[in-house]
Amino acid sequence: KRFPPPAEGVRHQQQDTEAVLGGRSLGSGTLYVAESRLTWLENSGVGFSLDYPTISLHAVSRDLSAYPWEHLYVMVNAKFEGEETKEAPMAEGEEEEEDSDDDAEPIAEFRFVPSDKSALEAMFSAMCECQTLHPDPDDEDSDNDYEGEEYDVEAHELEQGDIPSFYTYEEGLSHLTAEGQATLERLEGMLAQSVSSQYNMAGVRTEDSIREFEDGMEVDIAPVVAGQFEDAEVDH
Amino acid sequence: MEVSHSVKERTIAENSLVILLQGLHGHVTTVDMRDESTATGRVTNVDAFMNVRLAEVTFTDRQGTVSHLDEFFVTGRNVRYVHIPDEVDIRATIERQLQAIHRIRYFGGRDKGRKEFPRAKH
Repeated sequence: KRFPPPAEGVRHQQQDTEAVLGGRSLGSGTLYVAESRLTWLENSGVGFSLDYPTISLHAVSRDLSAYPWEHLYVMVNAKFEGEETKEAPMAEGEEEEEDSDDDAEPIAEFRFVPSDKSALEAMFSAMCECQTLHPDPDDEDSDNDYEGEEYDVEAHELEQGDIPSFYTYEEGLSHLTAEGQATLERLEGMLAQSVSSQYNMAGVRTEDSIREFEDGMEVDIAPVVAGQFEDAEVDH
Repeated sequence: MEVSHSVKERTIAENSLVILLQGLHGHVTTVDMRDESTATGRVTNVDAFMNVRLAEVTFTDRQGTVSHLDEFFVTGRNVRYVHIPDEVDIRATIERQLQAIHRIRYFGGRDKGRKEFPRAKH
């Protein structure tokens, strides 16, 4: 299939790279390691793309006894369909992927052989980075869904972001919306004037999202520096 | 010891056994893939999604053919087992990783926190 190379998010581009599918060379072209997909285009403009979720693993091979050229090995867990590749030559390629076991998952093995062998590390690393941009949506562990804004720890560490004045507690509280923050401050003020001594820190709840970060609001966590909560204005 | 710089990944790790795998940095271990190929090598990184990166790998494909790979990366989805080396104390490793996460999270007071780059390696 002829299509233009990816324009955006290209983490690495490697020219003079041969692509090999199964045991069959597809010619020489350019490999584009883009954030959206992995694309190889032969010099004539035809080529194919692989979506990262279909790539089960990739590796740098320098073992010449296994394969005579140093290359980037990419294993795809999908049968290689005709429409994703060059037309006629791929018909034979499809048969090569099907292993002797009928019940084995179909896999396709690609090798990308750059003329510049020293580029393999960069190609490998670029692929690692792009793979991590595509986490598995079918992950059974549904607890991975964490709502709220990400607290950009790195930006704060590098002092690129202002540490807002109301970040009195640890990063968990960054999940409050701006409205929630305002409400929290208002309630804390009210608390300070409250006669009741029943309130403890955990009583200051404005939204459900705070519930997830109860731990940080309990005073009895050992590593917490005592002075951290000094302005909480709560009667202990 | 490596701890992720991402809040989300630290929280995921803290609530799953992937935190144990993250404590295996530097150890030689065997990873069994879903398709029954295996890779044995030194762990260079495991992230919260169980993507595993190994170095100096002996790879045995599902047909039993052995080859050597300098660098290896498998997506978490395709990992079936990670063998924990015998020399690894599992409980101590988990505790150490949790401590590292908590050090980052509770470090310092209000304005002191997170200005220092966390000491990830011990």
